[in-house]
Amino acid sequence: MYVGSDLASAPLHTSLTLVHAPESCRKRLSCLGLRIGARFSLLSRTAGGGRVALVAGSRIALGSTLLSQLRVEVR
Amino acid sequence: MAVTEQPDRALKLPLLVGTPSVKACCHTGGGIGACPEAPVVALVGAPNTGKSTLFNALTGARVTMGNWPGTTVEVSHGIWKTTRDAASCTCEECTCDPNEQRRDITLIDLPGAYSIDPHSPDEALTRELLVGVPEDERPDLCVVACDASRLANSLYLVAQLRELGLPMMVALTMLDVAAKSGITVDLDALSEALGCPVVGIDPRRRTGLEALAAGVREHTGIATAPRPVLETTDALELDDDRFAWISDAVRAGASAPAEQPRTFSDKVDRWVTAPVLGPVIFLAVMWLVFQITTAVASPLQGFLDGLFSGPVTNGATWLLGQLGLGGTWVEGLVVSGLIAGVGMLLTFVPLMTLMFILLAVLEDSGYLARAAVVTDRLMRSIGLPGRAFLPLIVGFGCNVPAISATRILPSSRQRILTALLVPFTSCTARLTVFVMLGSVFFGPYAGTAVFAMYVISIYLVVLAGFVLRRTLWRTMGAEPLIIDLPAYQVPTLRLTASVTWVRLQGFLRTAAGIIVATVCAVWLLQSIPTTPGHAFGDVPVAESAYGAAAQAITPVFAPAGFAKWETTSALVVGFVAKEAVISSWAQTYAVDQPADGTPGTLGERVRTDFENSSGGHPIPAALAFMVFLLAYTPCVATLAAQWREIGAKWTLFGVGMQLVTAWVLAVAVFQIGRLFL
Repeated sequence: MYVGSDLASAPLHTSLTLVHAPESCRKRLSCLGLRIGARFSLLSRTAGGGRVALVAGSRIALGSTLLSQLRVEVR
Repeated sequence: MAVTEQPDRALKLPLLVGTPSVKACCHTGGGIGACPEAPVVALVGAPNTGKSTLFNALTGARVTMGNWPGTTVEVSHGIWKTTRDAASCTCEECTCDPNEQRRDITLIDLPGAYSIDPHSPDEALTRELLVGVPEDERPDLCVVACDASRLANSLYLVAQLRELGLPMMVALTMLDVAAKSGITVDLDALSEALGCPVVGIDPRRRTGLEALAAGVREHTGIATAPRPVLETTDALELDDDRFAWISDAVRAGASAPAEQPRTFSDKVDRWVTAPVLGPVIFLAVMWLVFQITTAVASPLQGFLDGLFSGPVTNGATWLLGQLGLGGTWVEGLVVSGLIAGVGMLLTFVPLMTLMFILLAVLEDSGYLARAAVVTDRLMRSIGLPGRAFLPLIVGFGCNVPAISATRILPSSRQRILTALLVPFTSCTARLTVFVMLGSVFFGPYAGTAVFAMYVISIYLVVLAGFVLRRTLWRTMGAEPLIIDLPAYQVPTLRLTASVTWVRLQGFLRTAAGIIVATVCAVWLLQSIPTTPGHAFGDVPVAESAYGAAAQAITPVFAPAGFAKWETTSALVVGFVAKEAVISSWAQTYAVDQPADGTPGTLGERVRTDFENSSGGHPIPAALAFMVFLLAYTPCVATLAAQWREIGAKWTLFGVGMQLVTAWVLAVAVFQIGRLFL
């Protein structure tokens, strides 16, 4: 089953859709608007290899360890 | 045993408001607790929604802050003095002016929480207070602070609370930030969609607070009909239902441009969180914090120190002499106990004030969240989040404000762990002793010896963090970094001053008793003679209870090579303040304290003692002493700060851990060193 690419390799400033998040942090991400099916984009890379995501008007910093566990589709 | 700190006990709201035994009128007394009949309003909301700013704006300085009993989750509570529509005070002995239209409300600032799912101690406490306690102990109203610029993300908590049918209303903040992003909010339409009142406020500029007060008066105690929920036990389906409801509410109450414009914060973040420049900017900010907390505060500390050891002490001595108490134990108690203790406490005021101002500015501006992002990977290597970098860096200046700085950490377990590691950072007070011993024992290599202490200090922090992380803190999961970055804001003077004042009050309240009591205890021990022929308060140190105690513990340090009572008594004084180690030696050896850091006669006496106690290996013994000085309890003021931030249990645990670590390391350094030196 195709589950998209990981967020670490996703391009910046492109509309993305979250298709998979690890169970352990799914709830926390959901509370911040980043739930399965949500559309968002990446604004910038951060020190330490993370990204800043633009989600429904919020800027969410995501650590590098999480990026490889999040699967997205480019829309 | 592992540190989990899930507040699993029944938490009673009356504990918070401090119910007095006799019912007093709402309008009398200046204490923190409002009258028993005062309604209890809980302020809840996600982090960075302006909740605490709102709390400060509503309560002013009428606030107490403290950890919730049995937990280390900090909860603030205070009185919100509002006007009321009718004089309806129900106090038994009412002294209200019937024309006065006031009503006090007990306001509780609950920890920031995105939901009431108990994923963290903060969320667990919020859940317990809102839904875990019996109905008659629940708050009379929940005010949920929501960020208008990130409306959808703020409403998850509202959705959950609406399902419970609690009396609630929404305080919408950041409307100005939302407007800059092209977002407009129709408060009436949003209120209708959410099924509860919505008021727009700006707590930073204190606008909309009257409307909020009116809404609170009107809706306190009035439950809203629970929002119907999907009949399912599937958590994902429930979440989908909530997000659909949130989506409908946002669509009905707000409109936003299809394309999100780049904001000022986005532009700044391109530099501040950038891979190379971000850490450079962070280090520059830390350098500034370090400079201000040491260089700027230092002259002020020196001034206060001089004031107490000079004019205040001289004045008190003169006054007591006029009263016929000169040279008596009363003079000793007043001058060497009370005045020295209060003086020591007050010398920390400039330092703590500056630290609290800097913390407030960093928090209020929004930079602290970025600092956490930039340092996350580095700090994660010892199991701490990026924000822990700040208190650890500040610790190299002074451990006392560094302990207070641990409150920037979002999780109570992280706060405790960091507060236990801070004392291993080598503060400037220890530096003075290192420099003196370095010049006595290491001559041209003094600088290298002092530098080695800093390297050992860093290793100690890493090692202690590593060990604690894999033992007592093994259940603390390595959660990935997920931070909601707030928009940058210009810190407001009023908010900064208010937060600083509240925190400084809290520090002084806790530290005053501990510091003054400890200094008085040291004076008392030094005043009690243990040999005949001396009066109380007029006894040489060697023949006092203090000297006897130092002699009693001296054999413990034989394996470390410095088993001389003159040396161990300096360590006992160093427990009170490291600055006092050299002056203690000067007093014990009855020689002048070196004024310029050179060893002088004092250095020769110290070296002779180390040579005698180490069996001809003074250099490893001196190194062992320096390592012990580095690793054991920094000072009583640090203990007072720890007591306030992490409670008595963990403070005492820290003292034990530091003493054991210091002794083991000192013995290891001496025993290995004597083989070579």
